[in-house]
Amino acid sequence: MSIEIDWLAFLSVFAGAIVGAVAIVFFYALGLRMLVRAGRVPVVTPAEFTDAITVISEKEIKRAAKQAAKAARKSPLTEVQKNLAFLAAIGCFLLCALAVAAGIFLIVSGGH
Amino acid sequence: METAALIVVLVIALALFFDFTNGFHDTANAMATPIATGALKPKTAVLLAACLNLVGAFLSTEVSKTVSGGIINESAIGHTLLPELIFAGLIGAITWNMLTWLLGLPSSSSHALFGGLIGATIVGFSASGINFGVVMSKVILPALIAPLTAGIIAYVATKVAYGITRRYDGKPDGRSGFRWGQIFTSSMVALSHGTNDAQKTMGVITLALITVGWQTGDPTSADYHNPEFWVIVACAGTIALGTYLGGWRIIRTLGKGLTEVKPAQGFAAESSTAATILASSAFGFALSTTQVASGSVIGSGLGRRGSTVRWRTAGRIAVGWLLTLPAAGIVGALAALIVRWLGGWGVVVDAALALVIIVGLFLRSRKDAVTASNAMSDVAESGHAVELPDVPGPTRRASRIELMRALEKAERKADDAERAAKKAKKLKKSGAKPSEVKAARKAAERAAQKYAEAEKAAAEWEQLSASRRARAKLAEWDLGVDEQEDAR
Repeated sequence: MSIEIDWLAFLSVFAGAIVGAVAIVFFYALGLRMLVRAGRVPVVTPAEFTDAITVISEKEIKRAAKQAAKAARKSPLTEVQKNLAFLAAIGCFLLCALAVAAGIFLIVSGGH
Repeated sequence: METAALIVVLVIALALFFDFTNGFHDTANAMATPIATGALKPKTAVLLAACLNLVGAFLSTEVSKTVSGGIINESAIGHTLLPELIFAGLIGAITWNMLTWLLGLPSSSSHALFGGLIGATIVGFSASGINFGVVMSKVILPALIAPLTAGIIAYVATKVAYGITRRYDGKPDGRSGFRWGQIFTSSMVALSHGTNDAQKTMGVITLALITVGWQTGDPTSADYHNPEFWVIVACAGTIALGTYLGGWRIIRTLGKGLTEVKPAQGFAAESSTAATILASSAFGFALSTTQVASGSVIGSGLGRRGSTVRWRTAGRIAVGWLLTLPAAGIVGALAALIVRWLGGWGVVVDAALALVIIVGLFLRSRKDAVTASNAMSDVAESGHAVELPDVPGPTRRASRIELMRALEKAERKADDAERAAKKAKKLKKSGAKPSEVKAARKAAERAAQKYAEAEKAAAEWEQLSASRRARAKLAEWDLGVDEQEDAR
């Protein structure tokens, strides 16, 4: 009994998954970078302070918010440049959403 | 035929129970990382996971078709024996699952299911009842490859996430913004769980329905192995319920026992898990979602600067992964043997034994308080396989920037020293007061010393920017939970 294994399928799964995941992470990270450039540094508070969160404390959040405001004030960019960066950030986040939607569409349609 | 019908009903009940435990077990796969970073409140996370599992179960039925139409050679076994074998296989899977859960061993619901089915078929019928080609290409190889794949993807994604947002000027990098993203990526993981894990139960039920001829549709058509709509609804509902109830245990522990996961890392790990499972589901690969999520957590940990692998923990996880399939196979085979020896009564004996084991384990588990060690899944456990410094050493680029600064400073100091020395000489020549000359000489000495220090610092930075190992030595480590664990 010969066992035929479709190695190409594994390769396609790997290629599809790495392209999808890295694209989403890339655009999201770029979006964040652009937000920071636009002077709108996101400071996101943890939803709940579980024991697992050693990453950030409430004090640190306040400090981070202050730093973000200071960095925004000192930004050497002009208003136009800032607005462009903000638009770029929104574009990046939209691309992320598009990638996710495309992935789900591929699954639902059953297309490989 | 009537006993066969009865057994099919039992199989459906048992399969749904398995589905429930699967959801119960796996809530943390999707929700361990967002809870750990504080992206979602535990309650919200659990509710979201349950809803998206439900939706995911409706999205794709490829994996279900793999289970119902490929692994087992149903026409060779015949419709009287097969339901009994499926029953025995399910008993093997559930027993092994409950046992590992109680003992806190890493395990995988999916491998337990396949192990049980394969073991029961080989012993109860013969090896010819198994399509080894399909088992190899759609179950065993994906099982081995997928966690590795997910790990590699998570590693790359983590490097990308950190690289793009890294700043060298000390200004805020906005990385806490990854928390927003985590809400979406963890939702995708829950959704992908529905497209893969819920399908396995659908496949088993469909297989049982086919053997007794309850499956509607044309047996020759390609769509014959699609699950019936009521089967999809039942499985989706059960896994969602299991996920929701399983999540309550996580809520009660408030995320204790989770390793430190930073938002950027969690985002990368979740993206990788979701992408790997969704892509595999589309191809009908039945893989262990737990192992994929664990692989992602380990890979993303390694993607962070200064990480080292804790080989003992990693080894324990790997052994647990490899053990599940054969172990569940043996339990399934034993259950199948009882059926072979005792016929119809064997099913009754099996059912009674399973009931005793399930009730016994349930009562036993009630005795234990819910703690971090038993509520969190293997995913949380696998986070401990990677050790991370509190503050990693500088990057190469950062140390080069420091080198440039140090060189500039050294140059400045050299000028200062030269000027101070000249001044001292001039004072001495012009015949100033001895105290003034002495002070000037001292100042010159100090400047020379500062210059030497600056040179030394520059040399150190030069060495640091050249050697990765030297940079890693600058990392700050604290004695966290993991080290205390090691000490024990």
